[in-house]
Amino acid sequence: MKRRRRTEILINGSQKLAETLTKTITEHYDVKVIQEPENGLVMMKVRETSKKSLFYPGEVLVTECKVQINDVIGIGIVTGEQPELSHHLAVIDAAYEANLPETKEWIQLLEHEEQNIIKTKVTENQSILKTKVNFETMDVS
Amino acid sequence: MGYVAVKGGTLAIEESIKRLKFERVKQGRTIEVEKIQAGMRGLIDQVMSESSIYDETLAALAIKQAEGNPEEAVFLLRAYRSTIPRKHYSRVIESDEMQLERRISASFKDIPGGQILGATTDYTHRLLDFRLMEETDESVQEWLHQFHNEDSQNEEQVTDLTLAKVLDYLRKEGLIPPCENNNQEPDDVTRESLEFPSTRSQRLQILTRGQTGAVTSLAYAVIRGYGALHPTVGELRVGKLPVTIDHPTSEGNDEDSYYIGEVQVTEAEMLMPVSVEKEYGKKEMEFEIGYGLCFGQNETKAIAMGILDNCLEHPNNEFPSHNEEFVLYHIDSVESTGFISHLKMPHYVTFQSKLDSVRKTKKEERQEVNS
Repeated sequence: MKRRRRTEILINGSQKLAETLTKTITEHYDVKVIQEPENGLVMMKVRETSKKSLFYPGEVLVTECKVQINDVIGIGIVTGEQPELSHHLAVIDAAYEANLPETKEWIQLLEHEEQNIIKTKVTENQSILKTKVNFETMDVS
Repeated sequence: MGYVAVKGGTLAIEESIKRLKFERVKQGRTIEVEKIQAGMRGLIDQVMSESSIYDETLAALAIKQAEGNPEEAVFLLRAYRSTIPRKHYSRVIESDEMQLERRISASFKDIPGGQILGATTDYTHRLLDFRLMEETDESVQEWLHQFHNEDSQNEEQVTDLTLAKVLDYLRKEGLIPPCENNNQEPDDVTRESLEFPSTRSQRLQILTRGQTGAVTSLAYAVIRGYGALHPTVGELRVGKLPVTIDHPTSEGNDEDSYYIGEVQVTEAEMLMPVSVEKEYGKKEMEFEIGYGLCFGQNETKAIAMGILDNCLEHPNNEFPSHNEEFVLYHIDSVESTGFISHLKMPHYVTFQSKLDSVRKTKKEERQEVNS
């Protein structure tokens, strides 16, 4: 599973999953923390739709952590103050970068969590779509 | 009269700061940051937008420390922001990726995907609801339980609430001139001081972090006649934009990027009818777009930003609202409130100098009258 999809599931899904996956790695490998979770900023780059040019609307606070497994570095980065989750994300990223065999077992867990996220989204979207206007043409006599 | 350098006031300042805390807590009660975060969404959004930093918890803390005063909260957050390193720039965020929570058009009744009202005060009566005096956490949780269990009339299984832009349809019809993506790196007013003439990216960055009231007032002045525009809301969206970053050392495509979370924004695309001269002097009507986007649900500000964006695209010395120096130098919260409030600081020396001049003039006048 590619990084974009994986990190989206791990961040938007239950944090238990990230915790569980991290545990399977920390129990069997030497995980060295290169950078403790610390705050930083990510400047957003947005395309406006009038001239389709780029501009910076502002920065978002993030927590970032870096770990090393078997000489491979993993990065965990997430919006807000989330030191534990950023550490879990870094360990999981390093595990994928190092191509550890455990990662082969994770695909099902991640896909299952993705389904849970989709179910929640469907419910949320149904609620939002209740506010969709149903125009009726008025009879003028 | 000679000038005398003075110092002192340290003890008075210490006691004043203590007194400030007293005013914040004098009722013997405190408001938790999480309660501010839970119940002051509008203020949090305004403060994040004007501070130009997105984090609800930090905004709630700033609001607590500032006792709910937005200008002070924005000052605190801007100061805090300057202490944190900027680690990354996001990949380019396209606003049609927005997961919609609200989307309306005032120009077209029938838009593909429909008018989705979402959460809005637009249709409320603005009557004070005295029942809120008795509202408790329990009553709120009970309401939430009922809300989540309401049957949905809508059977659509929508996993991805993104919709095509109204503007795209107008571009296809040729009512708006076609436009290619411009990928030039934006300027950053937080890194390099503004110089005139400004670039489009500088203008948009200053407008989006402008003080809500200032941006709104100037845009209102435009519509009242102190400008040359007649805007309509083409499309207004509130929703969440996904933020991703590239790996810091290796190039990759979107699939290799890091998803880091999402940010709620309001986006306004304002339509302005303009007369365009074509071949052989023939005049045609077309639309131009004023663009507004800001953090949180700040609809008035986003619309006002869209109006001012278009004003500044068409400099016109007849109106201050079309003058980029006038608009961009005066809408920043920290700059404007900072300058005004600095007038409270001791100006003993400069004022004494003025006083000396006035006394001297008066003395000379009296001498002339007596001679």
